[in-house]
Amino acid sequence: MKHFIFSLVIWLVTLNVYAGTPSLPKGVLKIAPRPAPALSLKNLDEETFSLDNKTGRWAFVHFWASWCGPCRREMPSIQTLVKQSSSLKLDFFIVNTAESEDVVFSFIGSVAPEVNTLLDLDGLVTEKWHPRGLPSTYLVDTDGYIRYIVLGGQNWHHPDYTHFLHKLGQNNP
Amino acid sequence: MNVNLLRIAQILSRFIFPLLISGFVAAHSVPASAAAPRQKIDNSQLKMSITPRSANQMAAFYEGREFPPPAIAATREACFFTVGIRNRLDDILWHDIKSWRFVTDGKEIQPLSQADWKQTWQQRGIEQRFQSTFRWTLLPDLRDLRPGEQQGGNISLPRTDKTFSLRASFATGADKTGKKYTVQFKNLRCHDETE
Repeated sequence: MKHFIFSLVIWLVTLNVYAGTPSLPKGVLKIAPRPAPALSLKNLDEETFSLDNKTGRWAFVHFWASWCGPCRREMPSIQTLVKQSSSLKLDFFIVNTAESEDVVFSFIGSVAPEVNTLLDLDGLVTEKWHPRGLPSTYLVDTDGYIRYIVLGGQNWHHPDYTHFLHKLGQNNP
Repeated sequence: MNVNLLRIAQILSRFIFPLLISGFVAAHSVPASAAAPRQKIDNSQLKMSITPRSANQMAAFYEGREFPPPAIAATREACFFTVGIRNRLDDILWHDIKSWRFVTDGKEIQPLSQADWKQTWQQRGIEQRFQSTFRWTLLPDLRDLRPGEQQGGNISLPRTDKTFSLRASFATGADKTGKKYTVQFKNLRCHDETE
């Protein structure tokens, strides 16, 4: 009997541990929280967008370049996400790294015209974020801390990611 | 975002067609028989490939990114290889360029580091945005590759007409104290269009 109770306790403890650590979508890594670097950039219409923690929403910060194959493949999927931004309750900061306005306009206008991309014209803002490569995505919490990094390009419209992002938007990661 | 059709047409004429042409040149200027072969290693620890790139291929790529002539000339002086690495372990695999040895005739060739390139760009007065783009096309000097993670980029050396080998070692584990793996590529050569 004692053995049975001991096994039951161990099983319940194990179950509780796993219930508290939901699996993350492929490529998403939880990291030790660190403050997000400053980000204030203009878009193609010369409107300035700044990352701050006053909106009470998580931020999806993404760096890309048109010469990068995985970035090109990923962009339509990001556009699909952006269209759901109000239901996801996320702020999007899609940042082109070190390309000219004309190059960005020609690419984004034909591939993902609904993505409001920001221009890091000299690439120095991108460098402050220390991406592992391009593309790179960071998920920043409501207090301005980077909590997740995402390795490489992903199919963001896949339910694994939309469900995960929806939970972030509910401040329930 | 509203798309201005007139502006798109202008962009198409100014940039897309030249890009298509430069892409075509990059793909077809080298006869198939002269194209340097890609070498691959694929085992239970890692997958790695190394592909020689010709000066014209590199120039076409960077011209397509609007790099100025002095920057293009600098790339022509170097020997480029595109490298891809995928971690097949369930542990961290460390890519560290300091653990790579390029050897020819018993002598080591030092690859050009990101610091070397930065010095070149500054000496030639190259704009920051081109320096930034160039840096992103290089293989990182150091990376803790997570399980299943892959990375790619270019590595460059001073141009030589000799063959050489590459012996690359990879530490494993979060603190680099795990088993060390080494791969070797032989008979590597800079890609020469005149071959």
